[in-house]
This record gives sequence, structure tokens and C-alpha cells, in this order.
Amino acid sequence: MSILLEAIDLRKTYKTGKIIVEALRGVNLRVREGEFAAIMGPSGCGKSTLMHVLGAMAKATSGKVLIDGQDISNMSDSQRTEVRRKKLGFVFQKLNLLPALTARANIDVARQIHGGGRDAESHDRLADILRLLRIEDKMDRKPAELSGGEQQRVAIARAVVNSPAIVLADEPTGALDSRNSEIVLDMFRELNRKFKQTVLLVTHNPELASYADRLIEMRDGVVVRDDSEPANWRRGLSPTQTGASAL
Amino acid sequence: MRTSVSILAVALEVMLILIIVGLTTGIANNYGKRMEGIGADIMVQSSNASVILALNNSPMPQSLAGKFAEIEGVQAVAPILALINSQSIGLDVIYGIDPASFFDVSGGFAFHDGRMFSEPSASSDQPVEILVDDWYAESKGVRVGDRVRLMDEEFTISGIVENGKGSRIFMPIRAAQEMTGQLDRASLFYVKLHNPDDVQQVIDRIHARTEFSTYKLTPMREFSSLLTPDNLPGWEAFNSAVVFVAAWIGVLVIFLSMYNAITERTREIGILRSLGASKSYIVRLILQESFALSFLGVVAGLAGSLLVERFIRAAFPQIVVMITPEWIVKAAIFAVLSGLIGSLYPSLKAAAQDPVEALAYE
Repeated sequence: MSILLEAIDLRKTYKTGKIIVEALRGVNLRVREGEFAAIMGPSGCGKSTLMHVLGAMAKATSGKVLIDGQDISNMSDSQRTEVRRKKLGFVFQKLNLLPALTARANIDVARQIHGGGRDAESHDRLADILRLLRIEDKMDRKPAELSGGEQQRVAIARAVVNSPAIVLADEPTGALDSRNSEIVLDMFRELNRKFKQTVLLVTHNPELASYADRLIEMRDGVVVRDDSEPANWRRGLSPTQTGASAL
Repeated sequence: MRTSVSILAVALEVMLILIIVGLTTGIANNYGKRMEGIGADIMVQSSNASVILALNNSPMPQSLAGKFAEIEGVQAVAPILALINSQSIGLDVIYGIDPASFFDVSGGFAFHDGRMFSEPSASSDQPVEILVDDWYAESKGVRVGDRVRLMDEEFTISGIVENGKGSRIFMPIRAAQEMTGQLDRASLFYVKLHNPDDVQQVIDRIHARTEFSTYKLTPMREFSSLLTPDNLPGWEAFNSAVVFVAAWIGVLVIFLSMYNAITERTREIGILRSLGASKSYIVRLILQESFALSFLGVVAGLAGSLLVERFIRAAFPQIVVMITPEWIVKAAIFAVLSGLIGSLYPSLKAAAQDPVEALAYE
């Protein structure tokens, strides 16, 4: 399978007042087409920053990010916007639907911004996604009329409706209870399996990470573990025990 | 709430333009038409008289009417003592007239109801009779036989006449002179000529006589044409000032409204940016909203203006508000433009937001 996303010696520093924070300290990472990978780590380890840089929402201080073979590191804001529009889908921790719009309109906004999605094929794909996410009967409701889990499922539908190369999900269950978290993660897995959708999930919860097929663990701005053998990390083994190394 | 206030502000902007411009236009046009309706060819005033209200504080002897009538080419002369009814919001100008000479100049009144007033007699303790025009009667809800108070005096309405003869209220000139202590005085004379084309010759003849050389003689045709809004001194500047103030109200309110909106919607803008919405998409979105608010404001403002116009017409029929299609279009353009200008900076600021920071905004 081809490499869809690649980070090469990625570094990101912030200046907060007089303090310089090194959020990413040389991250190397490859995500292949059709993978369902989870980036895990404690709060402040740099996983959200990594997500923003990989998602073309923030620029790295140094290093390279290749999305579908395209280097976005030195792209202008408008070029990165286009990459987000054409290649990426986002699901956030907070329930980020537009509150004034119905679920259907929220999805339509993404289709409108993408500039497509009006043909029969797209229509069928949306119908399949809604069925898979079990929200086809919620489309005329506004976010306030949906449960947290339902809102997040609409957000997932919005993220995948334009067939992005990669879906980046930043703590997508952070605002949900455990039952809804399981449902949402099941949905991600289903999307990955049925639609071969590449998913990169960020979480601090090891249990939730276990839904993925690959675990990337971060600490202090670097990847300390990258393990594609679920059996290892589902048993809670340490990186040294698995023998996996950070790329 | 924010939306309602924005629409209301734009509506206010439109109403301010339409009503104030409509008032100045309407009053000038109506006054011009009424002056034209008198049928005179020349107006004679004392040298320091006001052209617009035909009033002055140094009236001329009424006997001048006879002397003017002797001038070659003059057919009839009507002396007028013009008074102001200060009790009226609409600034009623009351013409004290001599019916016979006024008829000779104007061709007489067309009566809707009643009859000509009778000359007051010194022995009678009955109120002085007056004529009012149909607009006045309708606005005040008065009929023939009703008593009205003007200038702290009580009058009886003897007749209601067709509007368009200079004033809306007419009383015997003798009564007007006695009320104001200006016996045998007139504030202006309307002069009718045998041949209206001889205006300049007759003016020259009057001025040629030394005793008349200081009087102000104005051809009525010229006077009426001067009473179009475009010819009124300061009208253009006044309207420009009204439009300027109104447009700034619109700009500032829409600016504040949209600035507030983008602050409230920072996260939503972040969501759109994360979905790949370009800066121009965000700008367009906010300008579209501003356009929609302005459009609704224009509709509300137009409806409000028409309501106010109807109210003014009902309450003060002597005041004319002319809401013309030309000014409706102008007001709409100003309102929409001010809305777009007001929302331009907020839209650019919204578009420039960093998507990561916008998404983290609480």
C-alpha cells in the first residue's frame, strides 16, 4: 500500500511570552493508505500539535510533511487550505458542528466547500455513510437536538463525505461517555474496513486506542513507540518489551 | 437580537433618508404648486421680504394695489396679508385676502363645501369666518360650521375649498389687519397681467416709477421654477448631509454587529477553515449575511417610511412627504453599500483567523 502521510524530522516550537516550548522534537512517521492508526500519549506530549501540522492547519518550524506525496511544509496558507479541502477530513474533540444548521446542512457545507458531491455516486456514498453511522433519520435535526454521540457521528459523516485521503480525528470521544465513545470508535473502524478509509486517531486513552490497528505512542514531542501488532500493545506491553522502535 | 438590531439600524438609515429628503422635496414641490395655482404673473414684496414664506415684518400700504393696477399691462392686483399660525406644528401660513381682487387674480375658489366668508362687522361678536382647503379640513377633521382656534383666536369655517391657491387658510384681509394691528397693510401683492409674456416690461414699468423702485418684483413663473428642490439653496448640501449621517449609522451598526458576530462565531469560522474553506469563502459568507441584513433592512425601512408617510399625511395633511422611486433606489443603494462597507473589515478579520486558534476559542 502506498504512503499517504509522511512526517520527516518534524519540529514545532512555540513562544509563550519568554518561554520557548518545543511541542514536536523531530517526529518521523509514515501512514499508509487504508490504515487505522492511533496516536496515543499523555496530555502535553505534542499529539494535538502533530495533528494540526499533519492536518495542514499549522506550519512546522522545521521538517517535512508529505500528504499523498505532496510536500506541504512550505506551502502558503491558501495552498494548505486547498490541501485540507481536497485531501483531509477532520473530527475534533469538541462537538464542532455549526449550531444554526441541521445535520444535513452541516454535511452539505463540507460538500459545498469541497466543490463537488452533487453526482449520483456521491449521493449513494453519503447514503451508505449515513446508514453505516446510523444517522439517516437524524438529518433534519439541529445539533442541539442530537445527543453527543449523534453529533459526533454527524461530524464523522461530514469528515468523510468528500472521500478524503485521510481522516484526522483529534480526541473524537473526548466529550462523550464510554458507551457513545465505543459507538463512535466502532464507526471509525467500520469506515476503515468498508470504505478503506485511512484514519489517524489521536487519543490519550489506551482503551480507545485499542480500536486501531496500529499504535503510535508519543512522549515529550517525539514518537516513542510505533507498533502494528495489536496483540503486543493490547496486552499493555512497554515499547522496549515489544522491541518496536520509533521511526 | 443582533440580527434584529442590524435590520432595525439599516431600516432607520433608509427611513432617515426617505423621510427627510421626502419632506424637503415634498414641501418645496407642494409650495411651488400652490404658488403656481394662484395664477398671478408677478409677486411684489418689500425689499427685505422672505421669498420662501412670502412674509415680512415691514408690510406695505394696501393702497399700493390701486397704484399697481394703474400700470399699463396690469389686469388685477390682489393684496395679501400673510400671517403665521404659530400654534400649528405644520407652520400654517394664513392669507388675509380681499375676495374680489383675489378672485380677479386667481380665478376664484372651487368650493368643496360651504360658501365664501362674510366680512366681519364691528358690531358682531361672532367669530370671524375663514376658508380652509380640503387638505387642511381632512387633516384636522373639520367641517363647515366648525370652530377652530388659530393665533389664540376662534374662527368659524364658512367653506372648504380646493387646495392649490397659495395658502391652506384664508380669512378677510381686514380681520387679519385688525388682529395684528397692521391696518391697511399688506405683506405682498399678486399681480395678474393681461399678457403673461409682458412680465419683464411690466416689471420695468413698475421699477421706473421712483416710489416703487425699492420693491422686490419677482416673476411668478421664475419663482415657481425656483421652488423645485434642486433650485433651493442648500437643498443638495442638506440632503448630502442627511445621507452621509444615515449611511454612517448603517456602516457603524453593521460594523459593530458583524464584528460581534465574528467574535461569537470564531469557532464556527475555525470549523469552516478546517474543512478547507478559503479566505475568500469566509469573506463572501460574511458579506452575504451583511447583504441579507441590509436587504431586509431596506425592506423594513421602506415599509416604515411608507407608514410614517401615511401617518404624517393623516395627522398633518398640509405636510407633504414625497417618497420618489428615485430616492427609494438611492436609499436602498446607500443602505446596502453601507452594510457591505461596515462588514468588510470584520469579514477580512474573520478570514485571517488562524484555524487552530479559532478552534481552540471558547
